[in-house]
Amino acid sequence: MRSVRTFLVLAGALALSGTLLAAGPQVGGAAPAFTLTTVDGKTFSLADAARTHKAVVVMFIATKCPYSNAYNDRMRDMAAAYEKRGIVFAGINSNKTEPAEEVIAHAKQHGFGFSLMKDPDNKVADLYDARHTPEIFVVDPDGKVRYHGRIDENYEEPAKVASPDLKNALDALLAGKPVAKAETKAFGCSIKRV
Amino acid sequence: MDFGLKISRVSAPVLFLTAALLPGAGSGSGISGEVDAKGLARRIAQEKGRVVLVNFWATWCAPCRDEFPDLSRLQRKYESRGLRVLGVSTDLGSQMPAVEKLLADLKPSFPNYRKTTGGDDGQFIDAVDPSWGGELPFSVLYARDGKKARVLSGQHTFQQYEREILKLLK
Repeated sequence: MRSVRTFLVLAGALALSGTLLAAGPQVGGAAPAFTLTTVDGKTFSLADAARTHKAVVVMFIATKCPYSNAYNDRMRDMAAAYEKRGIVFAGINSNKTEPAEEVIAHAKQHGFGFSLMKDPDNKVADLYDARHTPEIFVVDPDGKVRYHGRIDENYEEPAKVASPDLKNALDALLAGKPVAKAETKAFGCSIKRV
Repeated sequence: MDFGLKISRVSAPVLFLTAALLPGAGSGSGISGEVDAKGLARRIAQEKGRVVLVNFWATWCAPCRDEFPDLSRLQRKYESRGLRVLGVSTDLGSQMPAVEKLLADLKPSFPNYRKTTGGDDGQFIDAVDPSWGGELPFSVLYARDGKKARVLSGQHTFQQYEREILKLLK
């Protein structure tokens, strides 16, 4: 009887740890390390990027998702503006349905200047428990997640955005202030996993 | 997708109908009106006494298009027992010609609405259901008393929908 009880406790603990592991990083917690090859053949290490920048913006994005595509110009412009201020942007495509050639063509079409990488077998998406495109994680130089969620609240009308959450988070980090709204709900297409 | 109103997570979704939306507007081709969070809730409330299946879709979503014939079949098969299917397109405003074409081609047996343009998309999504992240297709089943009974994320078969609907039609 005791052994059965012990087994159940252990099984419960394992199940709980599995759940915790699957939940992805929390704001204030460590961002899982990853290294991927960019679509132009360079190595991108989160740890290296974090050490050498004021923040890293990790963006799970897509080529075919209308939600993600609605943010193409905003991502391009923010990356260009904030990279001058020491923040680097990295786009990750975890969709099994969107090959590297498509990611390259899409980036060229929309003038992306930030690093782009495929995430084979959606391993990084799993590490982060990223569910949607677009979905954003901002990582500080200590490797901690400082923001997670959406770019803003209005994907269809950029001129009418009332809550520029990612921009607010980056401005706070650059000013050395706490991020007031560090967690928002990401919304968009589901990531097409293997 | 205009996902607009902030709704309490414990309250029923609150959606709003524009003046253009006719209560109980019919099936067939064409969009019956635009809805935001308050309007959709009001539209669902109009069906109190029926089981309501709200299906969110978009023209670019292949699984959504695949589901349409099954949703039409479900509406026809169970209408007399009290089922009402309501479709909500989440396409961008600029995609309206594609929306109208799809409806003209598929001729659904249930009315379809379009989410209003702009607003707080995250709040609209939360209003529909806190578990939803905008992925499509996404469906919500309401019991005869108007209360949310079940959410179904992703593509489902006729039989899967039917099983859930029959639990509520009893």
